[in-house]
Amino acid sequence: MFKDLDPLLHSQLRLAVMSLLISVESAEFTFIKEKTGATAGNLSVQIDKLSTAGYIDVNKSFKGKMPLTTCNITKKGIKAFEDYVNSLKGYINK
Amino acid sequence: MNQESDSLSPHQSLDLIQSMIRQAQGNMSNNSFYFILWGWVVVIANLGMYSMIKYTEFQYPHYVWLIAIPAWIVTMVYGSRQGRKQRRTSHLDKINMWLWIGFGVCLLPFIVFITKVNYNINPIILIITSLPTFVTGVMLRFKPLIWGGISFYVFGIICFLMSPIDQFLIGAIAIACGYLIPGYLLKATKEKNV
Repeated sequence: MFKDLDPLLHSQLRLAVMSLLISVESAEFTFIKEKTGATAGNLSVQIDKLSTAGYIDVNKSFKGKMPLTTCNITKKGIKAFEDYVNSLKGYINK
Repeated sequence: MNQESDSLSPHQSLDLIQSMIRQAQGNMSNNSFYFILWGWVVVIANLGMYSMIKYTEFQYPHYVWLIAIPAWIVTMVYGSRQGRKQRRTSHLDKINMWLWIGFGVCLLPFIVFITKVNYNINPIILIITSLPTFVTGVMLRFKPLIWGGISFYVFGIICFLMSPIDQFLIGAIAIACGYLIPGYLLKATKEKNV
């Protein structure tokens, strides 16, 4: 149907993650999970796909003794997001 | 939230983007702690300097500024703890952090070379302080802090017209108006919103 739309972004959860990350410098995994309402497993899989595509950077560290995963959008991710929004506008204005 | 949504229409996509951006943005971290801490430190130091020079024969009144050392340690420990607690860092948070780090870096040469200007750095410090205070007020959309920044600028100019000793008194009043009052008002706003 929407052929010009980036299939990686045209998915509810991945688009939600990218929209969150475009608005901040960085966000913790738990913050993204809370805002999207996704399960940890599902979110991990989608974050992994975005990271493999180079759209986001995933940093793993520790907060005290607890593991901490932080994500931030990359330049490639910003470009892809902007292209996606422009394509959306194209469909809406048709 | 679904893993894949082939049926996501362009309108639904835009709605989702808007709603997520709205959730992520929020407000900049509202942190009154630093204004209150440094407000008291600088008020005490300025009043200490003023009263020691005016009413005592003590030869080293500037030693009162040593209270800034524990305040720096507290600032760094508190800042690092707050950073660990924060689950997302907004662009404004980052700009604000660098604004105040830049402010500290700009102040440093004046403190290091204080003897070169005969300890009369109050007017310069007040005018430099007006900038980050005003800009933070704008970013927080918090008028008392904006007025605090303006008051630093006005008190800085007044300081140039005063004797070096009276400048410490003006400095104390300026910090009370520019840091302490907005700091406590900011704290009250935060507590009200919790």
